[in-house]
Formats: sequence, structure tokens, C-alpha cells
Amino acid sequence: MKLRRIIYFVLVVGVLSSFAMVYFYTKQKAFSENYKQFLSSMYYLENAEETLNYLILQNAIYIYHNHDAIAQKQQEINDTFQTLQTSKILLDAHYKTINLSLEKLQSQIQESNTKIEKYLRFNASVKNSLLFLTRHIDNAAESLKQESCSQECKDIFLNANLILKHYNNATRMQDLDYIKDTKLILSDTAKEKKNIDFIQSFNLHAVFLQEQYPQYIATTKNIFKSHIGLTLQQIRANFTALALSDFKALNAFSIILFSILILFLTTISFLFLIYMRENKKLLETKESLEYSLVYDQLTELYNRTSLEKKLQTIEHPHIMLINIDSFKNINDIYGNSIGNALLRKIARLLENKLSHIENLKIYRLGADEFGVLFTNVLSSKVLNIAHILEKDIASHSFIFGDLEIHITVSIASNHIEPILENADLALKRIKKDPTKRVIEYKESLNLKKSVQENLQMLETIKMALLDDRILPFFQPIVNLKTLKIEKYEALVRLQLTNGRYLTPYKFLDTARKSSLYEEITRIMFEKSMRIAKEYPQYRFSINLAMRDILNDALTKNIFQIFAQEKEVASRIDIELLESEDLHDIELVQAFIDKLHSFGSKILIDDFGSGYSNFAYFAHLDIDTIKIDGSIISEIAINDKKMHMLRSIHNFSHGMDIVNIAEFVETQETAMLLREVGIAYGQGYYFGHPLPAPLEQDEIIFS
Amino acid sequence: MIKLLFLSYVFVFTLFADEPIVPIPLDEPIDIPKAKLGKELFFDTLLSRDNSIACVSCHDIYNGGADNRVVSIGFNGAKGNIHALTVLNARYNFKQFWNGRVNTLVEQATGPLSDPTEHNMDPRKIQERVNLSKKYKKMFKEAYGTYTITYELILDAIVAFENALTTPNAKFDKYLRGEIKLTQDEQEGYTLFKQYGCITCHNGINVGGNSFQKMGTFVEYNATATFPDRSDVTHNKEDINVFKVPTLRNIAKTAPYFHDASAQTLKEALTIMSKHNLGIELSSQESDKIILFLETLSGDMPKILDTF
Repeated sequence: MKLRRIIYFVLVVGVLSSFAMVYFYTKQKAFSENYKQFLSSMYYLENAEETLNYLILQNAIYIYHNHDAIAQKQQEINDTFQTLQTSKILLDAHYKTINLSLEKLQSQIQESNTKIEKYLRFNASVKNSLLFLTRHIDNAAESLKQESCSQECKDIFLNANLILKHYNNATRMQDLDYIKDTKLILSDTAKEKKNIDFIQSFNLHAVFLQEQYPQYIATTKNIFKSHIGLTLQQIRANFTALALSDFKALNAFSIILFSILILFLTTISFLFLIYMRENKKLLETKESLEYSLVYDQLTELYNRTSLEKKLQTIEHPHIMLINIDSFKNINDIYGNSIGNALLRKIARLLENKLSHIENLKIYRLGADEFGVLFTNVLSSKVLNIAHILEKDIASHSFIFGDLEIHITVSIASNHIEPILENADLALKRIKKDPTKRVIEYKESLNLKKSVQENLQMLETIKMALLDDRILPFFQPIVNLKTLKIEKYEALVRLQLTNGRYLTPYKFLDTARKSSLYEEITRIMFEKSMRIAKEYPQYRFSINLAMRDILNDALTKNIFQIFAQEKEVASRIDIELLESEDLHDIELVQAFIDKLHSFGSKILIDDFGSGYSNFAYFAHLDIDTIKIDGSIISEIAINDKKMHMLRSIHNFSHGMDIVNIAEFVETQETAMLLREVGIAYGQGYYFGHPLPAPLEQDEIIFS
Repeated sequence: MIKLLFLSYVFVFTLFADEPIVPIPLDEPIDIPKAKLGKELFFDTLLSRDNSIACVSCHDIYNGGADNRVVSIGFNGAKGNIHALTVLNARYNFKQFWNGRVNTLVEQATGPLSDPTEHNMDPRKIQERVNLSKKYKKMFKEAYGTYTITYELILDAIVAFENALTTPNAKFDKYLRGEIKLTQDEQEGYTLFKQYGCITCHNGINVGGNSFQKMGTFVEYNATATFPDRSDVTHNKEDINVFKVPTLRNIAKTAPYFHDASAQTLKEALTIMSKHNLGIELSSQESDKIILFLETLSGDMPKILDTF
């Protein structure tokens, strides 16, 4: 299914983009973490650098100062630099310039450390000498408390203080100018021993200081000239700029990924909706299919399949088949829509009438057939229901607008396996019997036997055809005036293997329902023609049903046979048996014209019985009629039949149609026929059907 | 005149910050299993090629943590090139060795172990030997949760032990914490220590060990000697005779003194120092007072030495 494939595709895209998202997210997280780490290290370095400068400044000012903090800060700076240098973010070639700057920074830090180391040394010695000088003056001042001080002493004391002040100022200002101009030592012009000692010690340190100061101050200044701060700022600015472009790229990428994800979510929801809708449709289709598997769409009753399934699952079923009589006519007359509406009404009527009975289900089994399935019920009860139902339906008026339709139904009830087949057989039986409406199947009806017989008969016919045991018998037709045989009617016989013969009443109906019938007809024509050729003194007639004329293959065959023996064909007449299903008069007339062209005559069989229709005679060129045996056999005892005979005779006479009487079995009948003026007679009185015509045209009375 | 004197006096003393010496913390965190393991290794001659010396051979932790010999005797009788520093409170030194060539104790430990004149070992050999010992297998499992003993772990254990080698509760530390008072002489010794500028270099938690200084700033000291000084590291002539300022903690126990062990007593050491680095001559009384102060810097023996 295409939709499903699209969904799979989109899902794959979705999963992939999710993975990409997760991958991207971790990357981005790592990047921003590295970024933050680097930047915080940078900030820390800047901070530490300033703190270090502050500590050194503090150290320069204070005479007593703990160096631990300076050493610790330097160590921290070194460590932080290490983390900076090994920062993962710098692995990217993109940050090459930062790496270069870091190298520069490293040398600056090293340089700075060297300077600090140097500074601390100068600082220590300078401080110590300053301390000494201070203490030296201090001690002298202390001794002044006990001793008097000469002018020389005072001068030296003042000078010493002045010199110390200069050095202190130079230290505080870190400015050599304070000690540049003056020679900052005491002049060794003192005379007092005490003063000479003082000057000696003082000058030792003063000279030392004079020597140390230029380097000391240069070193101190040098420390604060460090470019580390600047380099740090530059690196940070560079790094931020580089990272910013990376962040932009990451952002763009994240927007793309996010869009893909949104798109994916939208698409998947959309597809899901479509899928749901299709699924719903499928479900509906499936439901309706399932429904139609079980239910009849028109009447909403269960259908035949449903019944067949049900029958497999239950024990002791009892079926009642309800068939609408002549439903085809209703459809033909009122149209299919009324027909369908009627079926629905019948379905509702059945439901209504049967609703109070338990353990039953109503089915629609065929176009005009309903079934009611009972379980565990007495046959008598079903039969009772069937009778009531039949009456109810027959008396029910089905109303469609102005239309009021009445119907009758035939009902068959059965509980003997095979349940449906038996019910069907029973139903067929009562369809043939217009007096009965309800039947219950019983083995004693022998319905099955007739089916069996039909099958056996078909087999017999087939075998007979194979063994050439289908043959014509001939019954004489006598001119009632001359009492001479003028014609023979060819009658089909099937010779059984035991030598006995079957009359067409026994097998022709069965044959007619199969393809064997045409073959039989062909054989009859061929064999009759052969006989007719041998007996040129007689005319012959062969039977055809009216509907046979509609069979193209059959008529074609007949005319082919006729064309081969035209002389014989001119002596062959066709006896047409009337039937109700003759519609195409013109086709029949065409057939008759063709026969006439061969010199053949056309004869209506069994006239005066069943469906005799005078209308034929107006349209068809009928040559002869054969008056039905049911009239002939009773003319001697039934005045009405006699009257009918006379009427038919008069009619045929008027129409200039020859007539023949069949079933002439007694002399009395024959005499009566002659009296009326019937032209020909046929029957046992004149002769039984025989395998061949008689050579002589005399009647042999037995 | 008096006013001026007073001003200068005030000026000098107002520039003194808080006490520039800090007491050793009483609660340095120690990983006992690792430290004990380190102690075992510190005492084990297994760590020298000929099984003749251990770390403790030259760092007598029961007696100041240094070597009372001028130079230590190492592998096959080889002599060291400088007087051994104390291992006590070494963790508080800003750099290790006299010339501060390494920053950490781990780096320091690798020095003597691989020095041909000392332990004369290499990392692989040490690893092999320690791994062969059931005792160490067990101890490493206990301390590090592994039976795989690496050189790095061995160093880590030794350093863990060295980190535990602090000597808190010196009398002076107690004084700094305000728990006790110094005697008059000790107090005066400390003042002298400050006033003469010893404090300029010997300050901080370790009373030294936090800067480099030249031996002989004022009067040149033994310029011809070739000890591994700072110039060995910086290759700068100015750094000749520059050494890490050694700690003064437990100084009364770590004679002889200086990198060349030239002073046998504190008094000698003070005389040399005041001459060469301060440009002064201390009176005998002053020296004695300063020595009394220095003696207050001797602390408790490290607790780890009491545990087995």
C-alpha cells in the first residue's frame, strides 16, 4: 500500500532526524560546555592575574608579608593555563589562532614568573636593609633616652632620618628620582666613636640600597608592565568571536533540524489522519462485507450463506421454506422496485408474525424464497405455523401507494437431512400441485426416487444413443372414407437392453432437459426418412415441439436431411405440439414456409386440449389438425365432447384444414367419426405402432 | 625631633600586616589506607636497586625528616650533591628540591627513585617488585580497590603518606591561635626575627618554602661552590647561589643547616645568615633569643607515624 510505504519512509526520516537531533544536541552541549569552561578559565586567569598583581603590590608596600598567597596564585595561574591549553574546544583547527596566542601567553606567564622571582629577591634585600636602617636609627634614638646627644650626633641623626625618608619615599613611589640627585649616605666626618660606628653600619646598608635600588625599582615596574592582561583580553575577544560564528552555525543547524522535526511531526500527524480515515473506510467496507456475508442487503434478514453456516453448528434443525408463487410475474408487471419493496414487506411480515416464537431465525434464501430455521421443535408445530403463515400471507394486502398486491406462497417444512435439499424437493413437488400450499417432506413422498430415476433415465438414454437403440415406430393413419392406410406417424421408441421398448412419455421429458434431445430428434428424422424411402406409397409424419422450431441448430439439421432426399421430404409432415411459450409467430411461419417449399405439410397436434389457440390459424399456414385424444375417446359417451368434435370439424372444414382424430380405439368411435365427416383416424382400433409400416395399405383388425 | 622619630616609628610599624606566619591546620584531610600504604613503601628498601636504602634512609621522619649527614649516601655508597631537605611539611612548600625544579611531591618522589646515586630504580622495576609482594597486593586492593599496581599508584601512595607528614601544634602555632603565650625571651626572639628581616623570606605556613632567595645578598657567599642551584633551572647567571628558602619548621631538629650543611648549629646558621643576607652582626643574646623562638616552631610528630 502506497500510504503505508510513505508512512514508513517518513518514520525513517523522523527517526534519523531524531538521531541527528540527539547527536547534534550532545555535540552542541559539549561545545557550549567546552566554550563555558574555556571562557571561565579565561576569566579566572584574568582575575588571578589581577589578584597576583595586587598581592605583589601588597608585598611591595608591607614589610612583613606572607609569600604563600603569591606562590599559590602563581601555581593556580599555571594550572589554569594547563586546563586552557588542553581545552577540548581548541582541538578544532578553527581555533588555531587561539593556540598561537596561548603560546604567546605561556611565554608571558613564564616571563612574569621569572620577574616575580627576581622581584621577590630584590624586594627582600631592599626591605631588609630599609628595616635595618629603621631599626638602626631606632636603636640610636632609644639610647638617646639615656645619653645626651651632641650637635654632631643630632646632625647625623637628622641626616640619617632624611636619608631613610628618601629611601622610603623611593620605595613607596617606586621612583628613582627621590634618590638620584643626592648622595644618600652619611658623610664619614664624625669624630665621636659612637657616631663613627653608627655611620659605618648605616652607610653599609645605605650604599647597598643605592646599588640595589635601580634594579629593584626597574624590576618592580617591569612586573606591572606585563602584557598578560592585554593578551588575555585579546585571546578572550578572539575566542568569543570565533565561538560566536560557531554558535551561529550551530544555531542555523539547530533551526534546520528543528524545522525537519516539526515538518516530520506535521507530516506524520497528517499521514496518520489519512491512515485513520482510510482505515475507517476499510473497516466500514469490511463491516459491510461481513454484513453482506451474513445478511441479505435487501431485506436485512440473514442470507443463505449464514443459514448454511448455521446448519453446520446446530443439532436437530427444522427448516421451513417459503416461496412466493409467480414472483417473476410481479416483477414483470410492476417492475423491480415494487418487487423489491414487496420482498421487504414480506420480510417484515414474517418477522412480525414469527416474533413470538422462540428459537427461530428468518433467512432470505433466494430471489423469491425465505427460510425459517427452527431448532428442537415438533414437526407438527412447524406445520401448524406454516399453515397459519400461508393463510396470513394470502389474505394480506401489500399496499404500495394506490397499488394493492395479493400474493400466495408455497411452504415446505423439513427436518430430515440433508435438510435444505429435502425441503427444496418438497417445495418443487407442491409447486406442481396447485391444490396444495403447504407440504412436509417425508421419505414416503419418494421425491428423491424421481430424481434418482431421472438420473438413471438419462444414463439409459445415453447408452441407447451409443448402442443405436433409439428408433421410430410407425402407427398407421387411416382414411376414414376409404379405410385405407394413407399415412404413418413416426413415434420414437427407446429399446431397452432386455429388448423391451420405452415410449416417449417415459424418457422424452428427461431427454428434453438435456442435450440428448437434439440427437434423438436427428436420429428420428434420419431413420424415418430411410423408412419413408422404402415405402413410397405412404406419407409420414414426425413430431416436433413448437419450441424446437426456435432451436436453430435443430431446424438447420432437419432441412439438411430434407435437402438430401427431396422426394422423401415431400412426403414427410411435421406434427407440431402446441405449447405456451410460442411467442415468435413469424419465426414459426418462416419454418412452415420452408417446409412447404419441400412439399411437406404442417400439422397441429393435440388440438382441443391445453393451450389450443385459434389465433395460430389466422397467422400460420396450418395444413392439418390432429384432434386431441381426450375428446375422441369420449365422444361415444359424452355429448359435450361430441359437440366439441363437431365444432372443431366445422372450424377446420371452414378453414380448409384437413383433420385427423387420434385415440380411435373402438369401432363405435370410428363410426361416429365417419358420421361427423372427419377425414382421418388413428388409434389402436386401426393399428398399434409397429417397427415398420405395412406393405399393404389394408387395415388388419386384430 | 621626638615627633619625627615617633612618626617614622609609626610609619614603619603600620606597614606590618597581620602575622606573616600561619599555623599548620589541625585537620588536614588524610586518606588513611593510602597514607599507611605510602608509609609502608616509604620505609621499604625494596624501592632501591640493591635493597639497601628506603626513602626514610635520608628523610628521618622521626628526627626532623631530613638527613643529619652533609650529603646522603645512596646506591652503592654514592654521595648526593646537596644536603637533603626535610620531608616534614613538604606539602606546604611551593616547589620541591633546593632549586625548586619541580612543583609537586609526585614529581619530587620520582627524582630520588630514579637517581642513579640514590635509589637507582626505574618505574618498571619498581612496579614489578611491588606487584610481586602479597602484602602490597592486599594493601593496594584495600586502598585503591585494585590488584593492578602501577608506578603511578605507588607514587600516589607515597605522596599520600608525605601529605600526612605535617607537624601541627607547634608552640608558636598555639601562640598564633591565641591558646598560649610565649615566654618573654621567645617573644623577643620573634620580634627580633621580624625586626631584622628574617621574616621577609621566612614567612607563610612553612616559615619559608614559598620563594627563592640568594644565599648572600648582602655579602657574597662561597661563589666558587657548584651546588645545583636555581641557575641550573633558569640558566641565568643571576640565579647562581639562589635557592628555595627552606622551611624553618622543626629547624631545631634538622641540623646540619644550609644546602651545603655548613652550619652544625642554629647559632652558626644565624651568624652566617645575618652576615651574608642581612648585613648585620647579631649579639649572642639576640641569637639565643631567636633560637628560643625557632625552637617554638617544632610541632607534634605526624599522627600517621603512630598508626600501623
